[in-house]
Amino acid sequence: MYLDEVKTILIDVLNLGDAGRALDAGSPLLGSLPELDSMAVVSLIGALEDHFDIAIDDDDISASTFETLGSLAAFVAAKRAG
Amino acid sequence: MNAAPAEPFFLDGAPGRRFCLFHPPAGTCRGAVLYVPPFAEEMNRSRRMAALQARALAAHGYGVLQLDLYGSGDSDGDFGDARWEIWKDDLARGAAWLDARLGQPLTLWGLRLGALLALDAARMLARPPRCVLLWQPVSKGSAYLTQFLRLRTAGALLDGAAAQEGSGSLRAALQAGDTLEIAGYDLAPQLAAALDGLDPLEALAPPCPVHWFEAPAAGTALPAGAARIGAAWRERGVDLHQYALPAPPFWTTPEITVSQEWIDATSNVLRSDDGA
Repeated sequence: MYLDEVKTILIDVLNLGDAGRALDAGSPLLGSLPELDSMAVVSLIGALEDHFDIAIDDDDISASTFETLGSLAAFVAAKRAG
Repeated sequence: MNAAPAEPFFLDGAPGRRFCLFHPPAGTCRGAVLYVPPFAEEMNRSRRMAALQARALAAHGYGVLQLDLYGSGDSDGDFGDARWEIWKDDLARGAAWLDARLGQPLTLWGLRLGALLALDAARMLARPPRCVLLWQPVSKGSAYLTQFLRLRTAGALLDGAAAQEGSGSLRAALQAGDTLEIAGYDLAPQLAAALDGLDPLEALAPPCPVHWFEAPAAGTALPAGAARIGAAWRERGVDLHQYALPAPPFWTTPEITVSQEWIDATSNVLRSDDGA
């Protein structure tokens, strides 16, 4: 349910522009988006923390969290619920 | 009006020399501006925006000094030698140079961690600034250090490394006196400790007008943190103007990113503030 908001943040932080509009829940992120370098990962975490008012731990920075747009949205949903 | 070409030169610092680029004002001089760059890789990624903004302000009659802090850019020293106190001294020297060259009131213009550095340095300047320009200021040095340390965690993630060091263990290593390499930059324990011990943005309200620009992700509302600090500053009587502009985060994007709207908005607030 957070998919659209997470997608918008991802597009803004990575400056994906129109190319980002085509992303959906199954779109792979880590290793597939060249824009997602280490600075972008850290910026994205910061933007998600600010926007959703959540605290993301170092342990959360895992390959499974950033695997797809859907897994990232599910992670945000779990943080919001927790 | 077209501005004269920028003048590169070296300014004596302690220790070593600092690379500077001075953009002379076109026409009648309206003021002096000292740019305070962000930290590490953010400085490189925002270089184009800083240069374009400096040129735009010079065309509007401001003399703008861009100074590479000790251990960065084309200045002397390695990044691992950089210290917060040296950087503040760099800014004091830059401000003194502008004062001698132009004899005009000073505007401090800081991006990200450069905003905190500018406000911290403003407290020790011989002549306090007339105005402060903040671009997406970092609100807390310790939180910023955590984010910087996370670059190593994120880098390991991208490399597919199984085990990653968290920012907690990296911080412990710094506190034990180790220098750490983070995303290609040597971070000295002294500089890390200075960031951890820095006064937060909320405590650094300057006694002059402030123009504060934010580029919020996903929307045009001011982020909650910026709004909260802004309210606290206003309560203390700061003449604060905050602007939320939809712009890409040009200090982090891997591709060089320019927002002309952001540059125009910045030039406009400074011009309309003239003589205030």
